[in-house]
Amino acid sequence: MAEDEEEGYRWESGYEKTWEAIQEDEAGLLDSSVADLVARAKRARLHRARPHVRLGIMRHLYLVLDASEAMFVQDLKPTRLICCLKILEGYVQEFFDQNPISQLGIIVTKNKRAEVVCELGGNPIKVIEHLRKLSSAPCVGEPSLMNALELAASSLRTMPSHASREVLVLMASLTTCDPGNINATIQSLCKEKIRCSVIGLAAELRITRHLAQETGGEYAVCLDDSHLRDLTMAHVQPPPAVAHMEAALIRIGFPSHNTSADSPGKLSYCMCHLNGPAPPEGPDRGGYLCPQCYSKHCELPVDCATCGLTLMSAPHLARSYHHLFPLEPFEEVERPPGGPPQHCAACRARIDTQKLISKCGKCSELYCVDCDLFIHETRHVEVAVTSRGSGYGGAARRGTLWVGV
Amino acid sequence: MRLNVDGLLVYFPYDYIYPEQFSYMLELKKGLDAKGHLVLEMPSGTGKTISLLSLIVSYMLERPLEITKLVYCSRTVPEIEKVLEELAKLNRFIEKQTGQKTKLVGLAVSSRKNLCIHPEVSQEREGKVVDSRCYGLTAGYVRARAARADTAAGDGDGADPVPTCQFFEQLEESGRDATLQAGIYSLDDLKHYGRERGWCPYFVARRAIQQANIIVYSYHYLLDPKIAEVVSKEIVQSSVVVFDEAHNIDNVCIDSMSVHINKRMLERCSNNISAMEKRIANLKETDAARLQDEYQRMVDGLRDAQMKRENNQLLANPVLPDQILQEAVPGNIRTAEHFLNFMKRLVEYLKMRLRVQHVVQESPAGFLKDIFNKICVDRKPLRFCAERLTSMIRTLELTDMADLSPLVLVSHFATLVSTYTKGFTIIVEPSDDKTPNVYNPILYFRCLDSSLAIKPVFERYQSVVITSGTLSPLDMYPKILDFHPVIITSFTMTLARPCILPMIVTKGNDQVTISSKFESREDPAVIRNYGNLLVDMVTAVPDGVVCFFTSYMYMESVVSSWYDQGIITQLQKHKLLFIETQDAAETSLALLNYIQACENGRGAVLLSVARGKVSEGVDFDHHLGRCVLMFGIPYMYTQSRILKARLEYLRDTFQIRENDFLTFDAVRHASQCVGRAMRGKTDYGIMVFADKRFQRSDKRTKLPLWIQEHLKDSMCNLSTEEAVQISKRWLRRMAQPFSRQDQLGISLLTLQQLQSEEMQNKMRERVTHRI
Repeated sequence: MAEDEEEGYRWESGYEKTWEAIQEDEAGLLDSSVADLVARAKRARLHRARPHVRLGIMRHLYLVLDASEAMFVQDLKPTRLICCLKILEGYVQEFFDQNPISQLGIIVTKNKRAEVVCELGGNPIKVIEHLRKLSSAPCVGEPSLMNALELAASSLRTMPSHASREVLVLMASLTTCDPGNINATIQSLCKEKIRCSVIGLAAELRITRHLAQETGGEYAVCLDDSHLRDLTMAHVQPPPAVAHMEAALIRIGFPSHNTSADSPGKLSYCMCHLNGPAPPEGPDRGGYLCPQCYSKHCELPVDCATCGLTLMSAPHLARSYHHLFPLEPFEEVERPPGGPPQHCAACRARIDTQKLISKCGKCSELYCVDCDLFIHETRHVEVAVTSRGSGYGGAARRGTLWVGV
Repeated sequence: MRLNVDGLLVYFPYDYIYPEQFSYMLELKKGLDAKGHLVLEMPSGTGKTISLLSLIVSYMLERPLEITKLVYCSRTVPEIEKVLEELAKLNRFIEKQTGQKTKLVGLAVSSRKNLCIHPEVSQEREGKVVDSRCYGLTAGYVRARAARADTAAGDGDGADPVPTCQFFEQLEESGRDATLQAGIYSLDDLKHYGRERGWCPYFVARRAIQQANIIVYSYHYLLDPKIAEVVSKEIVQSSVVVFDEAHNIDNVCIDSMSVHINKRMLERCSNNISAMEKRIANLKETDAARLQDEYQRMVDGLRDAQMKRENNQLLANPVLPDQILQEAVPGNIRTAEHFLNFMKRLVEYLKMRLRVQHVVQESPAGFLKDIFNKICVDRKPLRFCAERLTSMIRTLELTDMADLSPLVLVSHFATLVSTYTKGFTIIVEPSDDKTPNVYNPILYFRCLDSSLAIKPVFERYQSVVITSGTLSPLDMYPKILDFHPVIITSFTMTLARPCILPMIVTKGNDQVTISSKFESREDPAVIRNYGNLLVDMVTAVPDGVVCFFTSYMYMESVVSSWYDQGIITQLQKHKLLFIETQDAAETSLALLNYIQACENGRGAVLLSVARGKVSEGVDFDHHLGRCVLMFGIPYMYTQSRILKARLEYLRDTFQIRENDFLTFDAVRHASQCVGRAMRGKTDYGIMVFADKRFQRSDKRTKLPLWIQEHLKDSMCNLSTEEAVQISKRWLRRMAQPFSRQDQLGISLLTLQQLQSEEMQNKMRERVTHRI
C-alpha cells in the first residue's frame, strides 16, 4: 500500500502492461537498449575530457519556464508544473552553491506571452521564493518561445562580456505560438552569444532542438522525473567559455562580517532592503560592509548597491575554482574474474558483483558507480586524497582582490 | 570500401554499410548470375539505389560481356536526379580506387521540357507545347524546307527564311558519330554540355542511349509502347532493367495501353480532319508527286520494319502487332482522301456511340462487329490506322503535333481495339463518377491486363529487377505481370532502436468500433472517435502529423462533421490545419505552409487522401512527419465498372480472387501512405492504422515485412487512449541522444564488422526467401 501511494493513483498513471516487461533482448532493439543508451550517456558526460577548456564561471542564466496548459498533464507526478518547480528549487540551491559568483533569473511564458518573474540576481532565497509562488499560479494557453527568448536576450544583452550568457528552457508544450519568425530570434541570439539549452518534458520538438544546436546549448528530453532531475542538474556545471569572451580582471571585494552581538556598530538598514518594505525585525547592527564604500548588505554574494563592487566571501571563490581544476575522471575497469571480494573505497559496498567499476587513476582505489558519480558531481575531491587548501585566504583578509575570469 | 560479394569485387563508395544492403547485393548477384528476373523488397531509406548501382556497375566492370547496359527506370525527375548523384559518387570512388579514368558513360534522359536550351522554346511551361514546338523546328521536312529557302535567298529571291533550331543544326553538322565523352551526366550536366558545344542536349541524350552504359529515365520510356518505339527500341538484349519504386508498375502498364475519349475530343478530331482535307487539296495542286510517293510506300508495306524485328534488333512494340508487319496497307485507306474519309466515318461513329443514356459495356469483338454492321468498316483497315496517320502527318509536313493529339489518340484506339480481343474492355458511361448528375459521356477503352505492356520488356532483356519499399505480398506481382522471377525476397531493416511504432487502433475511448466500412462510415459515433483519436495524437506528438483518408469525398464529409462537433477547434489549439485538395497548385501551397509550420515549432496537421499526390510523391522525413494516421482501409471504388471488369478478368485469367486483389491493392496503398514518415535509420515515426479490419490476419500479413516485424500482438486492437499512452512513452525514448556510435555494429557496419563470421551468419538468417 505504501508504495502505491507514493506513485499516485493507478488510474492516473499510464497503462502498465507488466507482462510486457519480460522481454527477449536477443534482437538488441527493445526497451533495455534505450535504458542502456541513457546510462552510457550519463557516464559519457562525466568522462567528457575537457582538460584545458576555459570555463565561464561568472554565469548569467535565465530559467525559462513553460506555464502553458501542457504543464497540468499528470505524467510527471503530481503534475508537470509541481514536479518541475520541486526540481528547480533543488537546482537553484545547487546552482548558487557551485557557482557563487553567478546570477539567475526566471521568465515564465503562458497565454502567448512571456514575463519576467524574477530579475537576474545572486540570491537563492529570493529566487526560490518566486519559484514557490509559481506553484499556485494558473497554467493557461500556449507558450511563446520567441517572446520568452526576446525577453531574456534584452536583459542578457547588457551583461558584461566576460560573463557567460545563458538561457535554460523547460518546455512542456509541443507547440509555440509566436508573433514573428522565431528563426530571426535564434539568429540574433547567436549573434549575442547567448547559449540556450532546452529540456523537453514530452517529446522532441524540432524548433527547440534547432535552437539548442544553433546557439551551442544542449538539448534533452526527459524519460521520467528522476531523469528530469539528472538533466537539470547537468546544467549546474558551468559550460565551456565561448571563444569570443573577453578575459578581464575584475575587482572583487571581500567584506568583513559584523555580527550583531560582537560589534558596537550603529543600528542601520541594509542596502538590499532599503527600497522595499522594511524587514519585519527592523534595523540591526549585523551585516556585510563593502570594503570600498562601507554600505551594508545582508547577504553575499552581491554587487554592491552603491559602488557596484562585486562582493563575496573567500569560500565562494574557492568553490567556483574547482571547475577550473576538476578531478580527473576515473577509469572504467573490467570486473576482475574470481579473486577475493572487493569493496568500494568510499562506501565499502561489494563491487565485484557489479557491472561497472571505476578506478582512480592516481591512487588506484576502486569505486562503485554511485560513488564515482557522487565524487565527481558533488564532492569534487577524491576520498582517499586530502583536500588541498586554497591559497586565497591571505588576500581575502586584506579586503579586495583582482581575480582573472 | 571494396566488398567481396560472393566472389565479385564490388566498389561501394561509403565507409559504412547497412547489413541489409549487403544481403540485397548478394541476392541481386545471384539473380544476375542466373540471368533471370528479380523481385526485391527493401524499406525506403536503407540505400536501395546505391546498392543496386554499386553491384551492377561493378558487375559490368568485371564481366563486360555478360552485362553491357544498365537501364534504370524511376518515377519522377527528382528521383532521377538522386540516382545520378549517387552514380556520380560511385564513379568518382571507382576512379579513385583504380587510379584511372573509367570508361563508363551514364546519363539521364528526360523529356524535351527538362532538357531544352532553345531560348524561346525552353520558356514554355507545358511539356506538350515544348514537344510540338521542338518538332516544328527540327522535323526533317522543316529542315529541308529551310535549306531550300536558304539557297533561294542565296539566289536573290525574297523568300522568308524558315526558322530552325541552331542547337539541333550544330549537332547535325558535327555528324551522327559525335559521341559523349565518358562520364556521368545529370540533366543539368547535359544542359551545360549542350550549351558549351552548342548542341541540343535532348538529342545528344537520345543518341547517347545507344552508346551509354547506364541510362536513367522514366518508366514510360520503356513501358508506354508509343514512346518506347521511338526511344528504347534499340537497347541491346544483354541489358539489366531496373524498375525502382515499382509498387505501382501494374497501373503504369495499364494506363499506357488505355484510351479515354469524350465528346470534346471528337469535336476537335473533326476539326483536325477538315484542316487536313484542305491541306491535301492544296498539296494536290502544288506537289502531287509527294502523295504518289506515299502511296507507293503504302503498297510496299511495312516490310522494312519486319526485317528488323526478325533480326531481333528491336524491342517489340505491342501496339504494332506481328500480323501488320507481314501485310501491306489495305487498299481502301492507301490514298490520302480515302483515309481521311475513313477517319471521318470512324469519328462520326464514335460520336454516335457516345450518345448514350445508360452505361454500355462490351468487348472489343462486340465493338468490331457493331462497327462493321453500322458503317461497314472492316477490322483490317482499323488495325493500320495509327501507322497510316503517322505516315500522312509526315507527308503533309504538319508540325503542330499538340493540336493533332486527339486524332492521334483516336487512331491509337482504332489500332488497339482491332488488334487485341483479349484483355481489354470498352465502357461507355453517360457521366463521370465524380459528378454523376452532369451529362458528360465518356468512352473508356481500358486495358485489363497489366502484363501486355511489360511483356516485351521481360521477354527481351536478360534481367529485370522490380524493387520498392512496399511490394508485399510479393507473390502478387509475378502473377499480375505474368512472369517467372528467379528470386523473390523481402529484406527487413536492422535497427539499433525501435524507430517505427506501428499500431492498429480498433476502438475509441467509448469502446465504439472504428472502421471506414460502408455501413458505419457515416455513423457520427465513428466520425467522432476518429476525431478524438486525431486530437489526442496531436496533443502527444510534436511537429508534423499527416492523416490519410480513403477518398476526397469521405474526407470532406468527415471534416464537415468534425467542424460541427467542435473537433476542428480543438485541433487548431495544438496545431495548424492543412488540407490536400484536388487542385495541384492549392495543394503545393498547403504543403509549403505545412512545412513552414513544422519548422517554426507551431506544429501542423495535414489531412490528405490515399492515392493522392501527397501519398505518392511527398516525403515527410524527420520532424515533417512524426506520426501518420491512416483512417480506414483505402479500397478502390468497388462500384466502378472499370474495376469490376478488371477483377473479372484477373479471376478468369490469372485465378486471382476479387477480394485478394482488392485487399492487396488497399494494403499496398496504406503501407505506401504510412511509409511516407520513415525515410532513414535516424528518422523515427508513429504509424497508426485506424480501422478494425486491419487487425484481421488477411490484412496484417499483407503489410511489408519491415512493418510487420514491429507490429507485435500487443500493438493491435488498441483503444485511442492506449495508443496515446504508448506513443507518449515511445516519443520520449526516441528523443534520447542517438549517434552513429550507437548504430555501429548493429545496423551500421564497417568493413571489418561486415566480414566477421558472426555477422555473416546473422545476415543469412534475416533474409526470407519466398520462391
